[in-house]
Amino acid sequence: MTKLSMTGCERVNRMFARQDQDRIPRHDSFWPETLTRWQGEGLNGDHHDVLRLLESDFETLCWSWPAPFPDHREVLDQDHETETIRDAWGGVTRVWKGRSGTPEHISFGCDSRDAWEKIYRPAMLAAPIQIDLDIGLARFREARQLGKWTHLTGVEGFEALRRLIGDETCLISMIEDPEWIRDIVNVHTEIVLRSYDALLAKGIAPDGLWIYGDMAYNHSTMCSPAMYRDLVWPAHKRLADWAHAHNMHVIYHTDGRATGVLDLFVEAGIECIQPMEAKAAMNVCEIAKSHGDKLAMFGNIDVMKMGTNDLDIIEEEISTKFAAAMATKGYAYHSDHSVPPQVTWPTYKAIVGFVERYGYY
Amino acid sequence: MPQLSDLTAAVAEGKRADTVRLTEELIAESIDPSVIVEQGLVPGMAIVGEKFKNNEIFVPEMLIAARAMKEALKLLEPMLAAAGVKPKYTVVVGTVQGDLHDIGKNLISMMWKGAGFAVVDLGTNVAPQQYLDAAKEHNANLVGLSALLTTTMPAMKETVALLKAAGLSNTKIMVGGAPITQAFADDIGADGYASDAGTAVDVAKTLVGEAA
Repeated sequence: MTKLSMTGCERVNRMFARQDQDRIPRHDSFWPETLTRWQGEGLNGDHHDVLRLLESDFETLCWSWPAPFPDHREVLDQDHETETIRDAWGGVTRVWKGRSGTPEHISFGCDSRDAWEKIYRPAMLAAPIQIDLDIGLARFREARQLGKWTHLTGVEGFEALRRLIGDETCLISMIEDPEWIRDIVNVHTEIVLRSYDALLAKGIAPDGLWIYGDMAYNHSTMCSPAMYRDLVWPAHKRLADWAHAHNMHVIYHTDGRATGVLDLFVEAGIECIQPMEAKAAMNVCEIAKSHGDKLAMFGNIDVMKMGTNDLDIIEEEISTKFAAAMATKGYAYHSDHSVPPQVTWPTYKAIVGFVERYGYY
Repeated sequence: MPQLSDLTAAVAEGKRADTVRLTEELIAESIDPSVIVEQGLVPGMAIVGEKFKNNEIFVPEMLIAARAMKEALKLLEPMLAAAGVKPKYTVVVGTVQGDLHDIGKNLISMMWKGAGFAVVDLGTNVAPQQYLDAAKEHNANLVGLSALLTTTMPAMKETVALLKAAGLSNTKIMVGGAPITQAFADDIGADGYASDAGTAVDVAKTLVGEAA
């Protein structure tokens, strides 16, 4: 094991500054089914233990996704596999019992501008702070002692739109009622920042803001760059401006192919993109050349290649991409999504070994 | 007198009211409903598919075009049914077992309908046997399998294996979704793969023997 000379916090901050680091920062995500598999293959612990093995540098303090009706969960129907529920956003969704996976959205309570203005907007603005401030404070204190890079986490306007009014209404309304879309995005952003301000008022000073919003899929962004710039980008800039005013760096998570909006991310003040899905043609080797000086890169190690369990293929993936990305000094390891259950526990331990072998400067 | 090319342009631009008005006017002029579909609406959605493939338009523009076409079809389908006109090709589509995600499947369905295919949508979390039963029941030319999650890719493989084993000589199998690649499609024995909703129309046409 190579001797480490920096804390995780120092390492990540130096990555943002493109300054020398001892090794690349590290973090990862896992499907619940993956951890279950690994526990059957010898993992003694949970995802915290896997992140300890990886020597993750990151620590989440809170997760903010404000809903109009916090904690509401009404079971409307169920079968042996799924439950149909009315959720905290007023929508009806079908979810799996006891396993992970994307829910099926059956209907959305906020299905019109009228419903938004009369019911959902007032409810969102009147709802209490929906992050646990005491837990956030405790996590910050513990993470500081461990030298971790601490971050606030939450959903941004585009993801919030889709959850509240559904993809079809959201995307059509981006053309037909842009003022409504702007209003939802603005209200959501206002509430997210209100909750972060409440946490900061506890006396903590996180290192970053890691915002989530899947605005792309494997072909492109969901909407055009111009539409993003007009309707959602101002809220991204507002979040980034707020973060910078509090001496935080900004990471943006989107699945999918976001190459068409990287310049807009930079213009908004986003400093790092994650997880950079390889199957959606995101590639650190190319983005290092085009945006490596402006955007740090976090991820891009192909989970499909991990899922082959072929160590030669995986080693080639890691060594090649690390070499290209580390040349910018702005790279952190993460899988390009969440590690799927096709990956065996021996394979993942080998991946950690490859990260260790190739991830030092 | 309204022109079919006007209808094509209205659909391509997603102008719902214009599309409905022009369809009504063409019907009033006694234009054969199947001609309105084949020479007015379908070419409009073909333009949408081509622009979508090339990132000239995005999902919102595709959705409003598909909605415009759907409104026009509401007027035309009863007339087509009364005249005994049936779509040339039938597609059975669904999201594979273990996966509740549906936007990709819905977008592809819209585009296939826009290309003149009859679409039988089985919904989400569709078991392999359900695909097979539906393919037989509807004498499907094509079965489309969608998956969002890497965790549900094995279900796609299982479904393709069942459909292949059934030996449906008239039925091709097409796969797609966020984690799916051409290599995976080849590996599990699917007949076709598309990376986006625009390409899905071309691939489907090729698979059923109609030039894309």
